[in-house]
Amino acid sequence: MEQTQSKTIAPRDPAVVMQLGRLGSFHQSRLSFMRILLRRMEAEAWTFDRPVFDIDARGVGRAVYSAHGPERSYSLVAFANDLPPEKRSDRVIATEWDATFTLFDGVPTTADLDRLQNNVPKQEAGRVSERELSLSRANRSVRLWDYVVGKLAAGEQPDQTTVEKVGYLMRTTAVYGSGKFGAADREDTADRAEFQAPFQIEMLSVFLTRAFVMDLVEHMAQLRAPDTAVPLDPDLRRRFGIGNSTGLGMAPFLLTHPALLNSWIAAREEALARIRSLPDAHPSEVDIFRSFALRARLHTQDWYSDHPVQIAKLDDLRADTAALLAHLDSVELTADYPWNRLWLWAESALSVEGQELLASLLLEPYPHLVDGLSSCMAADETATWRIDGAMSSTRLRALIEDIYSWALDTDWTTPEAQARVWYTSEEKLEPRLGDRFDEPVEPYEQPLCPGRDAARMYSDLCATSETTVAGFLMRHPEHRHIVRRAQITARLPYAEIRDNTIADTVMPIDMLRLKLSFFGACHFDPRSDRWVRITMYQHAPFPHELGSRSGDDWAYPFLTGGAA
Amino acid sequence: MSWSLNEIESLARKAARGAGLSWGLAEEAGKATRWLTAAGLPGPQALADLLTRNDGADYDALCPVEAREAHWVAKGGTLCPLIAGAALCDHAEALAAGDDMTLGQTASPMLLLPYLAAAARLTGRGLRVSWGELTVTLDADMDLQPANANALHAPMADSVRIVCTDTRLPDAPPPAKGRGQMPPDVQHRLTTFAQRTYAPATEASRLAGAGAGLTDND
Repeated sequence: MEQTQSKTIAPRDPAVVMQLGRLGSFHQSRLSFMRILLRRMEAEAWTFDRPVFDIDARGVGRAVYSAHGPERSYSLVAFANDLPPEKRSDRVIATEWDATFTLFDGVPTTADLDRLQNNVPKQEAGRVSERELSLSRANRSVRLWDYVVGKLAAGEQPDQTTVEKVGYLMRTTAVYGSGKFGAADREDTADRAEFQAPFQIEMLSVFLTRAFVMDLVEHMAQLRAPDTAVPLDPDLRRRFGIGNSTGLGMAPFLLTHPALLNSWIAAREEALARIRSLPDAHPSEVDIFRSFALRARLHTQDWYSDHPVQIAKLDDLRADTAALLAHLDSVELTADYPWNRLWLWAESALSVEGQELLASLLLEPYPHLVDGLSSCMAADETATWRIDGAMSSTRLRALIEDIYSWALDTDWTTPEAQARVWYTSEEKLEPRLGDRFDEPVEPYEQPLCPGRDAARMYSDLCATSETTVAGFLMRHPEHRHIVRRAQITARLPYAEIRDNTIADTVMPIDMLRLKLSFFGACHFDPRSDRWVRITMYQHAPFPHELGSRSGDDWAYPFLTGGAA
Repeated sequence: MSWSLNEIESLARKAARGAGLSWGLAEEAGKATRWLTAAGLPGPQALADLLTRNDGADYDALCPVEAREAHWVAKGGTLCPLIAGAALCDHAEALAAGDDMTLGQTASPMLLLPYLAAAARLTGRGLRVSWGELTVTLDADMDLQPANANALHAPMADSVRIVCTDTRLPDAPPPAKGRGQMPPDVQHRLTTFAQRTYAPATEASRLAGAGAGLTDND
C-alpha cells in the first residue's frame, strides 16, 4: 500500500510569538471571547427582554436587560446619570459617569434594584455582593451623542461616515469582574457551561450595555421631540459598537495570569498550525477566505486613529491587505499545503500587523477545526503555580538560558534597559508607569519586569552552592516570584512575554491590545503609548436580532452592507 | 458585609509585601490567607496578627536554618509560618518520601496549614501536622474544625511536627468557593500594610503616569 506523505506544521516558536511588537499587532478571530459568547447564545436560542426602562427627560433613571439561557438568566442593571461635562473622564480616578452597570445573577427584584442604586453609581466607592458578577461604567462620546440625538429628534438618520468615524455612542471605562468590590468570584461561576470560556461575564455585560445605549439614544430623541423623532435605521444601528477606553490596568493582568495567557495564545497558535498543516483546500474554502480578505480590507479602511504609531501601522496594514488580495489572484490555493505556502509568503511579504491579520483570517473558513479550541482557553492557575523545590539548580539555569535568553543578552546596567517602573498610585489605586531615574517611585515597583528579574536571579544562581531550587530560594527569597514564572513557562511555553516590559521604548498599549484582541475588540486607537480606545461588537446583531442574524459572522464589515 | 475570596487574597498579598516579604512570598501569603478563609478559618486575622508581630524584622531572623537534620529553627528565635510554610512546600518531595520534619518555635502555626495542604497536593501523599495538643491531618478528608480551637488559633507553638501519612490523595478538588469575613480592625490593619506598596499621589504622576489624553470630553 502506498504511504501517504503528510506533514504537520508545529505551532510557532514562543520566542517569536511572545514579543511585544507582535502581541501588539494581534487582531480578533474566531476564538475571540465576544464571538464565543454570541455563537453560544445563538446556538442555545437565548431570549432577551427589558423588564425595566425608567429614564426621564434629563436622561436619569434605571433599566434592566435580561438574558435567558437554557438553565439560568442574567440581567444587566443600568443606571443613567445627567453628568456635568467637566466631570467626564475615562480615568480610573473619575468619580461620576454617564452610566453605570452591574451584571446581576438572575433577574433582580425591586429591592435588589434599590440596593444596587445606592452602590453601583459609586463604582469603586460602593459595594456589591455575590449576586453581582461584574461592575462597570460608561461615558458618552460627546461628539457623536449630541449629533445623533439631534438628528433622530429632527426625524433624520445620522450620516454613516460620521457614525463610523467614532463607532460608538458610549465607551466603557472599566469593566470589573471576578470578586472586585464584593462581586462574585470567578470560581463561583466557572463551572457553568456559559462561563467556561474566559471573560464571558464581561462580554455579556458589554453586549447588553450596547443594547441599552442604543435604546437610550432613541429614547432621548423621542422625549425631546415626540412628534418628529424616529428610531435608527436597523442597518445603520448595527454600525454602532460599544466603545472602551483603557489604560494600564489591563497590563498587569497578563503577567499575573501566566497559565491563562498561555491558554489564549496556545489555542490561537494551535488553530493556525492546524490550518497550515492542511494538505489541500476545497474551492469553497478558498472562496470563503477570499471573501474575508476583502472584508478585512474594508475593515482597515474604516479604522481611524490620530496616533502616529498606529497611523504608520495602518498604512502598512492597508498595503498588506492590497498585497494579499493581489497575491490571491496569482496563486493556486487548493493543493500542496496551500495555507502554509500562503503563510510562508506572508512572513517575508507582509508587516507584522499584516501577518497577524492573516493568522486571524486563516481561521475563518474552518469553524470545525477552530471553534472547539474555545473550550481550551480557560486555565487553572493553581495547577502550575507551586514551586518545584526539588528541581536542581542546574536545571533551573538551563530553563533561564532557554526562556530568558533575550534577557541574558540585555545589558541591564544601561538606563534605557530599565527606564520605566510599574507602580500603583495611592490615588484610587490607579496602575501607572513612571521614570525610574526621574521620579521617586522605584521603592513601589511592582514585579512586572520578568526579564530583568530573571537576569538578576540567573546571576545569583550561577554563584550559588545550593544544588536544589528549595535550597537556593531559602537563601534568596527575592527571586521566588521569578523562579515560579520560569517553572510555569517551562510547562506552558506561551505563559511569558519574552520582551522588555520596562525599556525606554516599551509601548504598554501592545499589552493592552493583546488582551483586547482576545476579547474581540477592533479599531485600536491609541491616545498615547499607554492608553487606547477601541470598539466592540460593531456590526454585531442586537439581542433581539440574534437568531435571525448570525451570532458569529459580524466581526468584519459586510461587503454589501447587509446579509448575514 | 462579606468579602470575595479574591478581595481577601489581593489584600493579603499586598499587606504581606507591605510588611516586607518578597513578592514571591507575598503571593503565597495571599493564597494561604484565601485558603484558610475558604476553609472557614480566620485567615485575615491570623495574617494581620503575624505581620504586626514581625513588622520590621529581618528575613534572616525569621527564616529557617537547619539546627540538626530535619529540625528547623529561626535565628531570631521564632519562625515565620509564611517563610517556613513556603520552604516546607518546596520540600514537598522529601516530606512525601518520609522525611519527617520538626520546626522550633513558630508564630501563628495555623498559617502553615495551607502550605502543607499544597505540599500534600503536589505529591499526592497526605501529611499530619501537630503542635501542642492539636493534630490536623491534611489529606482527602481534611478536618479543619477540631474540638481544640484554641490550639488551632494559637499565636505561638513551641514546636511543630510534620509527618507523612500513608494515605494517597485523590485528584485535586475544584477550586474552593465561598465568601470571607474580616472584622473592621483586621481589615484596617491589613489595609495599612498594603498602603505601603502604593506610591504617594503627585500632580506629575497624575498627569503622566497613566498616559491618558488631556480631555475625555469628546
